[in-house]
Amino acid sequence: MGSRISVFATIAITVLLVGLSGCGYNDLQGLDENTKAAWSEVVNQYQRRADLIPNLVVTVKGYAAHEKDTLEGVVQARAQATGIQVTPETLKDPAAFEQFQKAQAGLTSALGRLIAIAENYPNLKADQNFRDLQSQLEGTENRIAVARKRYIEKVAEYNKGVRYFPTNLTAKFLLHMEEKPNFTVADEKAVGKPPEVKFN
Amino acid sequence: MDAISMSRVWREPARLMVFLGVMLIAPSAWALDVPPLTGRVVDLAHVLPADVAAALTRDLEAHEMKTSNQVAVLILPSLEGEPLESFSHRVGTTWKLGQKGTDNGVLLLLALRERKVRIEVGYGLEGTLTDLRSAHIIRQEIVPRFRSGDLPGGIAAGVQAILGTIEGTYKADEVLSGHARSGQEPTAFEYVIIGIIVGTLAGIVLSHGLQGTRALLGSLLAFLVAQFASVVLGLAAAGVTAFLLWLILQANRGRGQGGGWGEGFMTGPGGGFGGSIGGGGGFSGGGGDFGGGGASGDW
Repeated sequence: MGSRISVFATIAITVLLVGLSGCGYNDLQGLDENTKAAWSEVVNQYQRRADLIPNLVVTVKGYAAHEKDTLEGVVQARAQATGIQVTPETLKDPAAFEQFQKAQAGLTSALGRLIAIAENYPNLKADQNFRDLQSQLEGTENRIAVARKRYIEKVAEYNKGVRYFPTNLTAKFLLHMEEKPNFTVADEKAVGKPPEVKFN
Repeated sequence: MDAISMSRVWREPARLMVFLGVMLIAPSAWALDVPPLTGRVVDLAHVLPADVAAALTRDLEAHEMKTSNQVAVLILPSLEGEPLESFSHRVGTTWKLGQKGTDNGVLLLLALRERKVRIEVGYGLEGTLTDLRSAHIIRQEIVPRFRSGDLPGGIAAGVQAILGTIEGTYKADEVLSGHARSGQEPTAFEYVIIGIIVGTLAGIVLSHGLQGTRALLGSLLAFLVAQFASVVLGLAAAGVTAFLLWLILQANRGRGQGGGWGEGFMTGPGGGFGGSIGGGGGFSGGGGDFGGGGASGDW
């Protein structure tokens, strides 16, 4: 008789504990922190790219000063991209996120045009400084791709936590967490392909 | 509705399901798998003479002993259409080159058919082996030799330049003793074992007092300890403990007090602790991570 009671009590306690830890309060907080850390890395790498641009523009100007449109396009796109400050908090806002993405994509394509004109200037292409800047730019684009990929993974984990039962209840009623917007596949394709560089 | 039209009705959804299944699987099915880490120099294209490969391996091993940096070379016949940068990053993170925490790994990757070369740099070495320095090594040390047809010479020169660049960044005794000091996180398995042991101990201690509730309390204790690992493992530990204690309880009922079994049980898994740093003769990654640093080139 006593043993039967203890078995029932064990089952009851176990079920209760599942209920308590299954709510995933700590897990959700951890997932949220992970997305923030991954996001800082994305912003870091974009900033790194922006920092390379003034030097690059000056170097290209030295050989191809009359490519005004392209050069100004890069300067403007950079100003636009660095003008947007996205913190982890504003990440929850899909509109702000979209705006950030657009500005960075604009800079990516402006830079692509700038690198492409180098093909027409053999002296620029052979310039040591230009080649170095190009290597750094290429490396940074690659880091951006990695950082974005990691952010996408972290947000996917977080969003799962926010949507799946039963953690969605904790997320909704206790923590007031909402799904976070993520990078879309369309621009992932554009970013996923790093610029080609040939050492001739 | 007869059987034939029935099957027709189901064919379209079935086809759709298969299609969706393929769509879901597709992104994770890579064209090219990361080859197994068989050593510091993995030459799948067989371009390195045995003595050059052996000398490189020795140098890389000596370098790790001194600095804890893990540098590896991978030579592929072809990338099979995979982009160089993403594949290289995948190899670095799969092999986990570099030590955990310092992320001081470097991968030198060659793809013969594409005539492409990349130096992939772990987070912890990005400061010394910068993108620029990597690009210079490729441009000045590796590519000129490759162009003149000297693959082994280019690889050896590239490796020497990499080792020379990252030489002073870390010291092996500091990094590895740092690991020992901070202590490795116990694995999930260890948590389960701890849970079972604590649960059993608690159960035995309590068995002298509270006959009926000891299984319950034991499992509760086990659960609390194992909770640090994860909910599922904690539950498993608690469940197993509760079940075992219940069995003991049943057995005791017939035999009175029996402590011998519990002691024998506890000495069993007790020895299975302790982290494992480094391996014996084989080479394995130390847990380093990569953030896409480095440079690429072609010849």
